[in-house]
Amino acid sequence: MSQLQEEREIILGNENVDAFDFDEVREFVRGADEQLFISHHFDTAEKMLVQPRGGFPTYEKQFALYEFFVDANVDVLPLTIDSNTRLNDYTTAKKMLRLSEANEIDMLNGYPLVNHGYRTTRKMMTHFNHPVSLRHGTPDARLLIEIAIASGIFEIEGGPITYLLPYSKNFPLDKAFLYWKYVERVCADYSTLNKPINRESFGPLTATLVPPSITIVIQLLEMLLSLEEGVKSFSVSFAQQGSMIQDIVTGTVTRKLADHYAKQIDCEDASIHLVYHQWMGAFPTNRDSADQLINMSTVIASMVGADKIITKTREEAVGIPTKEANAQTVANTQYTLNILGGLPAVVDEQEEEILTAEVKAIMEAVFNDPADTLWRKVFNSIKNGVIDVPFSPHIINHNKMITIRDAQKNIRIIDRGNVPIPDRCFEYEKSCCDLNKDTTSIVNDIIHDIGIMQ
Amino acid sequence: MSTENETDGSVLNGVGQLNGHSSEKPTDQSSSNSKLLVDIGSTYFKVSTAHSIEQHFRDFNKRILDDLMHKCGDTVQRFDAQDIHICSSANGGLSTLIIGLTHSYSLKYATNIAYNSGINVIDSILFQDIEEYSIPSDLIDVVIIVGGIDSNGGMFDDRLHAYLSKLNYSNVVYVGNAPDAATLSKSINQLVVLPNIIDDRLHIVEKHLKDYLTNLYQEDIEGKEDIKHLYEITGNQIYSTPFVVNKSLPHIHASFSVTDPFILLDIGGATTDVHYSKDLVSDNIVTEQEHDRIVFKKLGVFKSRQSLIFTAENNEYAYELLMHLKVTENIYKEHSEKATKILMQLAIFLVLCKMSHYRPAYVTLKLLSMNSIVFTGGITKVLTTADIEDVVAFFYRKIMNSDHKPVTVLDTQYDIWTIGAKEQATCQ
Amino acid sequence: MKVVTGVIGNDIHVVANRLMDLSLNARGYEVFNLGVNTYLEEFFDAAVETGADILLISSLNGEAEGWGREVKLLKAKYKNLDNLVMMIGGNLTVGSGNAEDIVQRFKSYGFDLVCHQIDLNTGLDMLEDHMRQSSPALETTGA
Repeated sequence: MSQLQEEREIILGNENVDAFDFDEVREFVRGADEQLFISHHFDTAEKMLVQPRGGFPTYEKQFALYEFFVDANVDVLPLTIDSNTRLNDYTTAKKMLRLSEANEIDMLNGYPLVNHGYRTTRKMMTHFNHPVSLRHGTPDARLLIEIAIASGIFEIEGGPITYLLPYSKNFPLDKAFLYWKYVERVCADYSTLNKPINRESFGPLTATLVPPSITIVIQLLEMLLSLEEGVKSFSVSFAQQGSMIQDIVTGTVTRKLADHYAKQIDCEDASIHLVYHQWMGAFPTNRDSADQLINMSTVIASMVGADKIITKTREEAVGIPTKEANAQTVANTQYTLNILGGLPAVVDEQEEEILTAEVKAIMEAVFNDPADTLWRKVFNSIKNGVIDVPFSPHIINHNKMITIRDAQKNIRIIDRGNVPIPDRCFEYEKSCCDLNKDTTSIVNDIIHDIGIMQ
Repeated sequence: MSTENETDGSVLNGVGQLNGHSSEKPTDQSSSNSKLLVDIGSTYFKVSTAHSIEQHFRDFNKRILDDLMHKCGDTVQRFDAQDIHICSSANGGLSTLIIGLTHSYSLKYATNIAYNSGINVIDSILFQDIEEYSIPSDLIDVVIIVGGIDSNGGMFDDRLHAYLSKLNYSNVVYVGNAPDAATLSKSINQLVVLPNIIDDRLHIVEKHLKDYLTNLYQEDIEGKEDIKHLYEITGNQIYSTPFVVNKSLPHIHASFSVTDPFILLDIGGATTDVHYSKDLVSDNIVTEQEHDRIVFKKLGVFKSRQSLIFTAENNEYAYELLMHLKVTENIYKEHSEKATKILMQLAIFLVLCKMSHYRPAYVTLKLLSMNSIVFTGGITKVLTTADIEDVVAFFYRKIMNSDHKPVTVLDTQYDIWTIGAKEQATCQ
Repeated sequence: MKVVTGVIGNDIHVVANRLMDLSLNARGYEVFNLGVNTYLEEFFDAAVETGADILLISSLNGEAEGWGREVKLLKAKYKNLDNLVMMIGGNLTVGSGNAEDIVQRFKSYGFDLVCHQIDLNTGLDMLEDHMRQSSPALETTGA
């Protein structure tokens, strides 16, 4: 038996799993309808796929949510996991699930997949026969993704960096890399049976003034870590940044460099997709303004040429959205995509050149780390601040980089910390901003720049 | 366990590998496989070649070297001094007493470094209350003084000197703020000054103190009268066992089906060593290695038998555990094979308690997330997997209120120690 | 002037915390930011290790009532923190309440400065005023 299989048996021997049948699950994946695979839709769809967010504790509520989504003509269904499960606390999740079932009050902020189990959940997934995307935020997702794939969920979001730095203060990053390696291997293994399992990185990170160079570097690195384990379908992603031109340039550079680096490790046979998140920062409390913002995001996603868009709702500022509001966004987004036509091809060569140079410089610094494996090179680079994610709560993150918006609302780096942004790029970034102010005013600008959509 | 895994080049899978080696190169002693590895514990010593592992109870009336040569002389003589590698945990290792400013930073960081260097922490003292602490009567091998970031200073005063003057210690090292270093090195004899272990972001800096303590441990082993004689048979440096075990943990997956996060328990005659995956604790500390170590002194089944029994008598579940194991407290007075077995089972339970919320000590581990529990040391020769799983299940049911069942792995062939020793041997 | 700051308890309001860090820096303080999810004891311990003049705790999800009472008790265990200026800011209670009452209550818990639902800059202006009054020498050096 391989080492991976031994590890899988231990992971699935967890007391919260009801007799995991490896052979049966393999047979299920092998024979699963191609409609369940988002990788199939990426290959065949001629439009941008629309995917909302959402997860409720009970089976019935999740089922009802999917009914609304399907009525709204959804392309990809989400399964958002509750926060106890994200922290591997299945005992509490179980307790809260029972309470939610008994009392009609939701005691969890998502669907506790491990507690529901794959036999139950698979019934829902095969009933709707839509591709489903697993949304979680788990540093150790080994058990979760096993249950997900066994349930018929063939897209797994996340990664060791993007699911750790925005969410955790002290989960050991080196462990996260090793646990995600397991995820990649299991996804790669199942991908040989039918259409490939798609992996998607979480580009929004902290959704707070993260400059495109940092976003792209992390997308590329998680892509490489995934492809080197044999994953054949991968989505890089980012969230609306606040400036249309910066989004367009980010999309262009991300696509170009994703192909470039995939080729460098002889993985050009993998298919790479681009995913765009509607605005992930602080949302307006006014529901009508929120609708306008969502609509604008959809237009920009079209300009960017994304393969999939992930939507928000008009109730974003209030709390967990109702299924009605959630489904309404899906319908609205589909409508906008339908009526959009004659989009101009916008190119900004200077911005592209600058951003490409920044990303390549950081990537080079990562590759030059003396460690023997890619994951350890990345780990070291985060530890020594070569990669620095603004507003990350994690103790390993340097928090030295400072960013601000220029007059066009582009995110610019005004303090690069330890990140090896080339001098001429850094000078360019700073020259776009008005820095002839006292520092308190600049901090006030940053506060303003974060709340730009409110 | 895989027996067909060809990439696994270590001498680990017991008989399966043993045959493989002996059929290929039965007498070639110049290859790296032909090393003799010796581990001296407080109770047993173990002798391992590529072909066999033997362990013997120590005879305390003899010098270690004589005892070793008496029992394994033939084996030892077959090897060149250059091919013999020895590690030792006899005497329970070095002891330290830490004096620091706060629990969350100076004391916590120094304790973490000390444990990871294989040192036992006898006591940690909050400096502001130093006058209220009793003075340990035992000789302390090394006193660590720590506190403050480098832009702070003037933290220590005469109370420190008063305390030190009453303390019986061999070494003293300062790893606190820079400004105080100058004053203290004038007033404290033989003070070794190293860079601060707390940086300006209040993060830990391990390297300098860790190197110092590791070296001190080496020197101590070399200096021990008993161990010294062992240099007559080896041409290599003698290392401490915890150091060697820690070296092996990153390679453990090659030999065992062990799944992270896991803990490794080495319940010895005098002390119990625990190595644990870092993600089992939620600690705001970024250290270099994937596993941290902690040691419970006075928790062992031979030398520390009395204190083990004392701890058990003060644990409200221990009585229930004895009932579960179908014995009575009379077992404490017995000196039989059965009694040893029960004491070992008790030791497992008590160690797990000490790492849980029930009896919090230095760390509280997230034991419900633990996937594997690895046992090494003499215990693997006495208890079966079933004996151990019985106690572990009892612990989870009573203390954790859960049916969680980490996979039990027994290192019966001392592979863990062998990988580390070989790793160390290859590095030389 | 050294300031130890951070967000207390089970709270992940990173943005507010980082902005606090930047604002304090901009005003010339030497900042030790313990980040989110920090325990009360870690705050005091950090003040000791750094020799901080000011401890500025943020609490944003109304949990402060829960641990506020413990502040005095815990601080009393420290022998060198008598001169530490204690400030708390954020959303100190769940739901609405009389601001005056809330300020008084948190002062009785041992805080010198209490900012309930007050914007960042106003709060930091209050801190500067307070520091000037308590140590006039500061006026010449400026913060």
